[in-house]
Amino acid sequence: MSDKELQVRDKRELESAGERTKPGPVFIPAVDIFESEAEITLLADMPGVASENVSIDLHENQLTVSGEVEQLTSEKEEYLLQEFETGIFHRQFTLSDRIDQSSITATVKDGVLRLVLPKAEKVKPRKIEVKAG
Amino acid sequence: MFEMVPWRRYRTPLAQPRKDLFNWFLEDCDLPGFGTDEREWVPAFDVSETEGEIIVKAELSGMKVEDIDITLTDGLLTVKGERKMENEDKRENYHRIERRFGSFSRSLNLGLKVKADSIDAGYKDGILTVILPKAEENKPKKIEVKH
Repeated sequence: MSDKELQVRDKRELESAGERTKPGPVFIPAVDIFESEAEITLLADMPGVASENVSIDLHENQLTVSGEVEQLTSEKEEYLLQEFETGIFHRQFTLSDRIDQSSITATVKDGVLRLVLPKAEKVKPRKIEVKAG
Repeated sequence: MFEMVPWRRYRTPLAQPRKDLFNWFLEDCDLPGFGTDEREWVPAFDVSETEGEIIVKAELSGMKVEDIDITLTDGLLTVKGERKMENEDKRENYHRIERRFGSFSRSLNLGLKVKADSIDAGYKDGILTVILPKAEENKPKKIEVKH
């Protein structure tokens, strides 16, 4: 294992994402998900995606995230080394009823999409005070 | 006459494929410490060339500009950096960790002279772009043919 040279991990390509009008590869973005008391945060790596090219769609508990990378190279450029392909990032998640779907927020910064999924009131931990009787 | 030959188990042809099979099996699992990659982060680089410039691009999403370090020594361009994990101390709150973190360092031998004082580096939407203008002697020259 250790004698291997360091390798660039290729972006995972999605086998099928339905028919697309634009040709090009479709990648699955790497995602981190963590939870706090009030919300669930999802971070997705989408290098090269500007905030205006991200679309988030919520339909019947199905959250679809997609982002498009604009062409990074001009015609004048000639490749000497190409390790990353550009295309479309696409991934779907199923949300449970525990998420307050009306107040999901999304921001894109430095190629990372941050989705904040607040928990519904009923599942938030509540502190119950004991009254002295 | 008969020298002692150490028996090396790992050299036997049978052991090798077994190890590969193990790695192959675990390659797609995103478990830390398993498979062929041990969660080290090696960002992807693209290098392209125009008539007057060498352009280096790297996929470095979610980094702070101050955490990226670019140096040029003797035609060797080195890009170093570190990506930090959010809430590192609260790993138990993570449901899924697929993104890569940590330090990386990659060096590229440019193979030609560049104008070291007019190198331009920018960071936008998680892509680092370094534009290195070629030194005059490396630019293609047009030679006219006289009658």
